Amino acid sequence: MRLERWVYTIPLRFRSLFRRSKADQELDDELRDHVEQKTQEYVAKGLSAAEACRQALLELRGLERTKEDCRDARGVTWLHDLAQDLRYGFRILRKSPGFTTVAVLTLALGIGANTAIFTILNAAALRPIPVPNANKLVSISQNVRRANGPISRNVHDDAGFVSYSEYRLYARDNRAFSGLLAYSPFTETTLGTDKPQAVLGTLASCNYFDVLEIHPALGRFFTDADCSAPGESPSVVLSDSFWQRTLGGKRTIVGKTIVLNRTAFRVIGIAPPGFDGTLAVASSFWAPLTMQKAFNPDYDRLSDDNLSWLGMIGRLRSDISLKRAAADLSIVASRLNSRQPGRITTVMLEPATLLAMHSLRTPMLSIGALIMAAVGLVLLLACANIANLLLARAAGRRKEIAVRLASGATRGRLIRQLLAESLVLALIGGSTGALASWFSVAAIFRTAMLHLSIGREFVFSLNLSPGVLTWLFAFALSVATACCFGLAPALRASNADLTLAMKEEGAHSQSGSMNAGRLRNVFIGVQVAVCMLLLLVSGLFLRGLHRAETVNPGFRTQNIETVEFDLPIAGYTAERAAAFQRQLRERLAALPGIEAVAQASVIPLAHNYDVTGFSTPDGRTNYEVQYNCVSPEFFSLLGIQILAGRDFTEAETRTEAHVLILTRSTALRIWPNENSAGQLLEERFPKALRRAGIEWQVIGVAADAQVADLGESDTLYAYRPAGPEEQAQLNFLLRGKGWSADASKRIEAIVKDLDPTLPVTVAPLSQNLESWRAVSRVVSTVSVILGALALFLASIGIYGVVSYSVSRRVREIGIRMALGADNRTIMRLVLRQGMFPVTIGITVGAGLCACVSRILSQVLYGISPWDPLTFASTPLFLCAVALLAGYLPARRAMRVDPMVALRYE
Amino acid sequence: MSKPSELVQGTLDMLLLKILALEPVNDFAVSQRLNRVSDDVLRVSDGSLYPALHKLEQQGRITARVENVRERPAREILFAHATGPAAA
Repeated sequence: MRLERWVYTIPLRFRSLFRRSKADQELDDELRDHVEQKTQEYVAKGLSAAEACRQALLELRGLERTKEDCRDARGVTWLHDLAQDLRYGFRILRKSPGFTTVAVLTLALGIGANTAIFTILNAAALRPIPVPNANKLVSISQNVRRANGPISRNVHDDAGFVSYSEYRLYARDNRAFSGLLAYSPFTETTLGTDKPQAVLGTLASCNYFDVLEIHPALGRFFTDADCSAPGESPSVVLSDSFWQRTLGGKRTIVGKTIVLNRTAFRVIGIAPPGFDGTLAVASSFWAPLTMQKAFNPDYDRLSDDNLSWLGMIGRLRSDISLKRAAADLSIVASRLNSRQPGRITTVMLEPATLLAMHSLRTPMLSIGALIMAAVGLVLLLACANIANLLLARAAGRRKEIAVRLASGATRGRLIRQLLAESLVLALIGGSTGALASWFSVAAIFRTAMLHLSIGREFVFSLNLSPGVLTWLFAFALSVATACCFGLAPALRASNADLTLAMKEEGAHSQSGSMNAGRLRNVFIGVQVAVCMLLLLVSGLFLRGLHRAETVNPGFRTQNIETVEFDLPIAGYTAERAAAFQRQLRERLAALPGIEAVAQASVIPLAHNYDVTGFSTPDGRTNYEVQYNCVSPEFFSLLGIQILAGRDFTEAETRTEAHVLILTRSTALRIWPNENSAGQLLEERFPKALRRAGIEWQVIGVAADAQVADLGESDTLYAYRPAGPEEQAQLNFLLRGKGWSADASKRIEAIVKDLDPTLPVTVAPLSQNLESWRAVSRVVSTVSVILGALALFLASIGIYGVVSYSVSRRVREIGIRMALGADNRTIMRLVLRQGMFPVTIGITVGAGLCACVSRILSQVLYGISPWDPLTFASTPLFLCAVALLAGYLPARRAMRVDPMVALRYE
Repeated sequence: MSKPSELVQGTLDMLLLKILALEPVNDFAVSQRLNRVSDDVLRVSDGSLYPALHKLEQQGRITARVENVRERPAREILFAHATGPAAA
């Protein structure tokens, strides 16, 4: 249609929509006028007045029908019908408040939970970074390899990151971006105030804030002068929340200095409120990249060309598309390739979001998707329940539907009407759920994060307020849900046999409900299968949790305190660290009640690990082995037995002795048939480091202990003596008798006494165990809630269907009883038919679970994804619940009085 | 919606527009002229005429305007638009 015609038609459409009565009035007048004139014409031709009027009406082929056709011609009838249907649906639902409440609550729960998860995923992975014109920001990552395999490269934080020299080349030579920034996230530092504490910040290129186009709330941001030479200008920008929370929020802070890692930094500005960096983990401060050495005194990252440590974000020029930008950057990448023979560099561009970092995104998205799938299954269950309820209601409304069909409604029109009723239900449920999720999602997210991040200082900064996308998601989900539970019953109900339906007063026939019965059975089958799946998963998690709660980690955890600090970050050199460790060790050993003091570079179950590559002397097999540098007392303190060979000696820790103690399973893996004592292993380094291999001699075998991952005792693991070079990495383990509550305070005071600026964490070792259990506790709580919900919904479904079929078959049961069937026969009959779809559902559900449980194996502690106990007990449990749900209504069938039933018509 | 089955689709629309292009008239006059131009061969029933006129109006091809003609009651006069037939 041409544009100018819309000028005429749009007001007309509006008029027909909103001023319907006036338009109808005009139509009435028009047709009456026509009939009058026609009548006059016929009278003039000689017909009688009555005959003339009749003739005129005849030619119109019925006044009402013509009117209806004219209304149809307005082209807005469907909207009217929809409004009418929705109103009618609303009225019908109000008449059965019980059904409506159950259905709305079920849907609200399902849709609300899905919306909440979506809100979190949306905030993290879909929303642009909260800066102006964020749609022009692109996150750039790089993949480096060789034609025939991987390239040797050092990676810090993310493999997609680039080195400083690579960044400089990309920034200088690209033509697609008006600015290209680099950042190094998660820079851990020590803020030296009266009470030293660890803070997380970002190292940024000096154009960081210019590219993001944000302006300081106070002071200024970096200028080129701040990045002129490495280590020259210790300036820092603070985040608003860090400034307010930790530094008191005084405006006079600008121009003053704060101490980060023993280096005085001048505060030059405050970032605007709400900006916490370009990642989902909040950054407290930003310092120039060139100040990197202040944070890692031992490692000059700026000049390491083979280190991935910088993320890049570019602002596209206004006329450049993402594709052209990618092509442009690949030209720069080819320049990088020519510098290093054999290197192949691929550049990937994507819209910048808070989850741009792959190593952050993959776990978060997969966990989110898993939870969303589970919650989606519960929603599906709810749909099946409501569909069953609707089917039962449709049987009661057969008369009404038959009348509608008989008086000329088409099937499509009827389906639309029934779907509109479902839509009303889904929209009420959906909006309730969406509102509930809006109010609760932030709190739930905070609680979950609190439980999951014991001992870690991550602050997640996500904007969880609902946006257009969230509302659209909730709306689309509601509409999809309505179709999901409304379509099948609507198709069924509108396909009624008119004569049969009109003839029967009470709609008690058997023949008409055969199909509906089958449909109901399918719903029950689906429900039970989904329920089975969720129950099995939660059963597996529960077993995992039980295992995590009761597992013996293979080492002592009671009465042991850990003392952790990070000396390199605090600016210690190797010599200073050694002196500090010696002094601290003496002071700690003098504590009253102390039984043993040991040192280790990795505290057991502390979520961090060191890995190196070992190979057998023939060089044939390589092993990636986790290792821990420990003092000789380590094994006796933790109660880990030395099974063969010997412990380290004091002398070995004073020199750099290359001796190893392997765990039993590691020794068995490397030398299955030989004695491992005295064997040699060669440690190999990446070629880029140009270091010769070191030979290590195995001197002993220690018992397996789950020091790396709880639930796994067969991790490849080696112990090395803590020599002079490792002094800066060491932490303390203390075992004491009768520790009082203030023991940790006293230990802390001793550390403070030696170095008041060093942040230290003193905690019982059992807390590390706790942090492993927390994850499985949260996961199992969620899965148990979902499983219980699924069970509840499925039982309601089974109860409803059995009870409905009993009520429909009163007459049949009466006849059977009159012919001599006893109570047990009747019970068996009703239950057998009710349990048939349940059995199929259980089988299918168990099969499904066996397929998907492999995905779960990563979070199941020491439990096989096909754990026989779970797979045997859960179906039995579900069967028992299903039997009970069927038994309760089936009892009613036994109470049928044949006389009453036969008279019942 | 019923369509005049006795006519080739679109013929009725064109006839109506042709009549209204000659001279704006009211709906009754349209029905009279329709019968007259086709020498009573094309007998379009009034039941098909009105929905067709309404459709043309919705499509923006004709406009109804209320006018007082002498002492008779106010009535709608239909106008065909210049863009109408060309676009058809």
